[in-house]
Amino acid sequence: MQRFGYTRAACIAEAIALLSQAESRSAPIAGGTDLLIQLRINPTLYDRVVDVSRIPELRCIEQIGDEIVIGAAVSFSDAISNPVLQNTAPVLAQACRQIGAVQIRNMGTIGGNVANAAACADTLPALACLNARVEIATEQSTFDLPISEFILGPNNTKLPPGGLITRIRFGIPHPLNRGVFIKLGRRNAMAISRLTVAVMGRLDANGTIREIRVAPGSATPTIGRFTPVEQALIRQKPSIALFEHAGQLAVEEMARISGRRWSSEYKEPVLAALVVQALDQVFSEIAVANPQGAR
Amino acid sequence: MNIAFRLNGKDVQVEVREDWNLLTLLRTGLGLTGTKEGCGVGECGVCSVLVDGRLVNSCLTLAAQIEGREVVTIEGLSPQEGQPNDLQLAFIEYGAVQCGFCTPGMVLAGEALLATNPQPTRMEIREAIAGNLCRCTGYQQIVDAIQATAEHRRHTASSINPQEVITPEGGQDA
Repeated sequence: MQRFGYTRAACIAEAIALLSQAESRSAPIAGGTDLLIQLRINPTLYDRVVDVSRIPELRCIEQIGDEIVIGAAVSFSDAISNPVLQNTAPVLAQACRQIGAVQIRNMGTIGGNVANAAACADTLPALACLNARVEIATEQSTFDLPISEFILGPNNTKLPPGGLITRIRFGIPHPLNRGVFIKLGRRNAMAISRLTVAVMGRLDANGTIREIRVAPGSATPTIGRFTPVEQALIRQKPSIALFEHAGQLAVEEMARISGRRWSSEYKEPVLAALVVQALDQVFSEIAVANPQGAR
Repeated sequence: MNIAFRLNGKDVQVEVREDWNLLTLLRTGLGLTGTKEGCGVGECGVCSVLVDGRLVNSCLTLAAQIEGREVVTIEGLSPQEGQPNDLQLAFIEYGAVQCGFCTPGMVLAGEALLATNPQPTRMEIREAIAGNLCRCTGYQQIVDAIQATAEHRRHTASSINPQEVITPEGGQDA
């Protein structure tokens, strides 16, 4: 017996109308890499899936003014190979490159990664680093929320019933910013992230840190930039001692948000090391590329 | 529901159950059992097929989603029906097959790589098959077979020549 039905939506309005019908429990499907596993475990979770993968607006990556707008059904592979993203937000392309293996990257989508909101989702720290906003369409309105507000916790978001994530948008970072995404998994491919960190920053003309954004992933149930870490770094001269201090503050911030857990003994030194490594990569590369700190 | 798509170079129209994945359509609906089911949750890669030239897990693709797409399975890889293509021959030649369960997915992962990167490094080959698990031979022989096929195709005008047997470098003709 058929356990759930399938409908294809041609446009956003049709998708929302289908998702909002009270008589059936519907879920949007694009890549299916999370949803079909959920439906395999619990075939009666939804009455129907609504295919949004062919809605043209959900499939493009555009630069609109000083913003980058990514359709929710853009696959990780498309994001990785997109020249606009490579130029403006390489930290996000780096995060996408480390997801799953080629099959999963060809299928899975950025909107799906955000909607599923796994604690270990690899795009989330990169999107937090980019101050990304999640655009949501419902029958009543279209609105957007910062990613850190949209995600309430593991597999828990502010997506209203009948709503659809349509786009992810963020302001183009200053061109002198360098971004780094580092992932630690149990093996290279197909690994669930144990911890990740996305860092983006730049120096000013005097060689002090002008801008810095630090967003760990898999470290806390919510996602967001670690402001105490950033405050300790801003307007300072990059040094290993400074980076180690920042790593320690990241550990304290993780403990403040998540509390101490069974995994803390492992995660604390690892997060500190990842933060040091990421900061070192961001600023040592700038220092090499720009030894006088000019411009 | 009824869907139309291109399967191994032929237009097909089939009745599918809306909750079927592509793997079930291929194996149960169409009797194409070359595509295997392993984990069923996208971890092992044995169900890999090409959809519009891209490698996907057929266990995580809904059959209804392939309406209008072009699907290539292991059965449709060789231009000569029933004959292995050069990459499949290389798998045999290099001992890259033992139980054979991962082989269809591995071969398609290799083809997906070679279609976009005719000169892959060993690292790139390893990355391209990272979503495909093998529990018998290990991976060296599989990487060897894909690498040899890449070299072979660069040195021959036609990209697919099932008659030619590839031998390891410095080896004897089989």
